[in-house]
Amino acid sequence: MEEDRAESIRMIRDSAAGIAPRGGDRRRIRELRFREPGYDPAMLRQMGEQGWIGLRVPEALGGAGLGLRELCALTEELGAALVPEPLIPAALSAVLLTAAEAEEPLQQMLSGETLLLTAWQEAPATLEAPGHAGAPRLFIPAAGGATGFLVPVAQDGRMALRLQQGGAGLTLERAQDGGFLGTLQPGEGKVIVADIGPALQDALDEAALATAAYLLGVMDQAFALTLDYLRTRQQFGRPIGSFQALQHRAADLKIQVALTRASIDSVAALIDRGDAPPAARRAAVSRAKARAADAALLVTRQAIQFHGGIGYTDEADIGLYLRKAMVLANAFGSAAFHRRRFAADAREDEA
Amino acid sequence: MTDLSTLSDEDFRAEVRRFIEQEYPPELRHPRHRLHWEQGRAWFKALRAKGWVAPGWPREYGGLGLNASQQIILIEEYERHGVARLPDHGIVMLGPLLIRFGTEAQRQRFLPRILAGEDIWCQGYSEPNAGSDLASLRTEAVLKGDHYVVNGQKIWTTLATDANWIFCLVRTDKTAKKQEGISFLLIDMKSPGVIVRPIINLALHDEFCEVFFDNVRVPRENLVGEPNKGWSMAKALLGFERIFLGSPRQSGYALARLKLLAERMGVFEDADFQDRYTRLRLDLEDHKALYETFVAMLRRGETLGPDVSMLKLHQAELFQRITELMLEIAGENAGLLEPMGGNGDLHPAGQFIEARPTTIYGGSSEIQRGILAKNVLELPG
Repeated sequence: MEEDRAESIRMIRDSAAGIAPRGGDRRRIRELRFREPGYDPAMLRQMGEQGWIGLRVPEALGGAGLGLRELCALTEELGAALVPEPLIPAALSAVLLTAAEAEEPLQQMLSGETLLLTAWQEAPATLEAPGHAGAPRLFIPAAGGATGFLVPVAQDGRMALRLQQGGAGLTLERAQDGGFLGTLQPGEGKVIVADIGPALQDALDEAALATAAYLLGVMDQAFALTLDYLRTRQQFGRPIGSFQALQHRAADLKIQVALTRASIDSVAALIDRGDAPPAARRAAVSRAKARAADAALLVTRQAIQFHGGIGYTDEADIGLYLRKAMVLANAFGSAAFHRRRFAADAREDEA
Repeated sequence: MTDLSTLSDEDFRAEVRRFIEQEYPPELRHPRHRLHWEQGRAWFKALRAKGWVAPGWPREYGGLGLNASQQIILIEEYERHGVARLPDHGIVMLGPLLIRFGTEAQRQRFLPRILAGEDIWCQGYSEPNAGSDLASLRTEAVLKGDHYVVNGQKIWTTLATDANWIFCLVRTDKTAKKQEGISFLLIDMKSPGVIVRPIINLALHDEFCEVFFDNVRVPRENLVGEPNKGWSMAKALLGFERIFLGSPRQSGYALARLKLLAERMGVFEDADFQDRYTRLRLDLEDHKALYETFVAMLRRGETLGPDVSMLKLHQAELFQRITELMLEIAGENAGLLEPMGGNGDLHPAGQFIEARPTTIYGGSSEIQRGILAKNVLELPG
C-alpha cells in the first residue's frame, strides 16, 4: 500500500517535471510577468488535461481521486519551477464544486473550459471566510483570467455558495511576482448550494497546505541555485562557498528546508489517513503553513545576500524566487495567523 | 553670502532648515529611488544659487569650507527632511581627491565644472569579478605614447547613464601585488569605445549600470597622482563619509512606516507586535546613541577607525529587520508591486526590497564583519 503510494507520488512529480522542469529556464515565467492575466491559459488547460485541477476530485466525477500527499508533491514541483498558472485556486474551486454537487460547472472546470475562482477572502492574512454578502472579496489570485467566481455567502446560519459569471465588479492590482490580484465587489449570482457546510473550511485548509508545498518548492530551488553559486563564484582566489561564515549560514538554511519538508509530509499524511479530528487537522495545516511562510522568506532573502550585487538585479533568476515568496508567504493565512490558529486548535485537540 | 563659519551651530542649523523649507521640492522628499540628474535639477540649481553645492570643499576651490561639525549638521538636516542625494560622486568623492592628490591644472580644469553642474561624475570601482574582492579588479590601462588605452568592464556604477565623466580604478601593472598595480584614471564617457548599459534592479529601477571600455584612449594627463598609487589614494578618501552609511535615517524612516502599517492593519496594539516593535525601536535608539559617539569623534576632529564598520553593519541589518516585520504583518499587501492606497507612503514590499542591497553595497555585511574581526578585535587568521 505504502509502495503504491510512493509510486503515485513519484509519477505526479515526473509528470510535473514534464511540463515544468525545476531546472528549466525561467524565460517563460519572465514573458508572462506583469501582462494580464499573468499566466498562460493554454498551459492551465494542459494542466486540466493532466488531471491536476481535479486531482482531489473523485474519479467517478472525472477527477483523479488522489490524496493530499500527491497534491503537495505536485505543487512543490510547480513552486520549484515558479509556475504562474493558478492551479491551487483552480483545484480549490473544483473541490468546492464537488462538495456542492454542481456537476456541470465542475466538468467545465476540469476540462479547462472555464476558470471559476473562489472569492472567499474579506480581510488580509486570514484563512477565515465569514461570507458577508456585500463585503468586497480581496486578493483573488490570477483573477484577470477568471470566467466567473464562487462566492461564499452566509445566510441564516448556513454558508451558501453563489456562482457569479463574468468579471463585473472586478479590479486588478499587480503583484511582485508578475501576477495580478483581484478585488471583487460581489454582484448577482446563482446559489448553487444552500449550505456548503464544513467543506469550505476543509478546502481552504487544503489550499493552505498546497501553498505551503509550493513555497517549499520555491525555497528548495532557490537554495539549490544558491549552492551552485557558492560553489562557482570566486572571490579572494577561492569559491565563496569555502568561507566558513557562508557555510554555516547555508547549513542553517538546509535545516529550515528540511523542517518544512518534514512538516508538510507529515501533515499531508495525517490528513490523508482521514481519522484526525477537525481541530487536529486545522492545527496541523497551520503548523506547516507557518513554517513554510517563514522559511521561504528566510531562504529566499538569504539567497539574495549570498548572490551579492548580482542577486539584486532583476535579470538574475534568484530574485524571481524572492518575489514569489513575498506574494505567497501570507496567502491562505500569514504565519502569525496560523500560529494563533494552531495555539487555539491544538488546545482544543488536547482537551 | 553669509560667512557660515562665523555662525553658531544653532544658527547654522536654522539657516539650513530655512533653506531646505524654501527651496527643496516637497514632492521629492524621501524618494523611493536615487534621483536621476534631471529629477533633481531644480534642487541643484537652488544649491548652486546659494553656493552650497560642495559643503566640504575649501572655499578657495568654490566650496563652503564647512567644518566637520557643520557638515554633520547639514547632513542631519537633509536626512530629517528626506532630501534626496543627487548624482554627487563628483562632489563627494572626486573633488576631495583632486584637491588632495591632483595637480593644480586638474583642479582648475575639473572642479569648476562640477560646481556648475556641467560635469556629472560616476564612480567606476566594482567589476563583475571584483566585488567584495575589489583589489582583484582587471580593467586595464596600458600606456601607449601620451595615451592610456583602457579595456575592461565596470559594474554597479551608480547612475552612469546620467554621467559624462567616470573616475576609475584601473590596473596599470599586472606584475605587482594586486593592490599595488592600480591607478586612478579620469575618463570622458563620450570617448569612443565607452558603452553604458543600465541594470534593472529588484526594485525595477535603473540606478545601477554596467560600463564597458573597448580600446578607449585616455590622455595621460587624466591620471591622478602617481601611477600605481590609485588604491591607497582611493582608500585615503574613504573619509568621514563612511559614517553616513551607518546613519539611522533609513531605519528611522522605516520604523515610522512600520508603525503606520501596523495601525492600518489593526495589529499595533497586539502584545506580540508591541514586543517586536519595541525591540526594534530600542535597537534604533541605541543605534542613534552609538552613532552619536562616532559623530562626536568627528566633531572633535578625530579620524574614524575601522570600528565605524559597526555602524554600517548594524544599521543595514536593523533596516532589514524592520522591513521584514512589515512583510509579516502586511498580509497579502506584502506581495503588491505598487504602494498600498491611502496616506503614509505605505509600501511594505517596496521597502523590504529597498532594504535588501544595504547589506551588499558599500562593503557587504560579510566584509564588515571581517573588518571588525581582524582590524578591531585583532583575531588571528
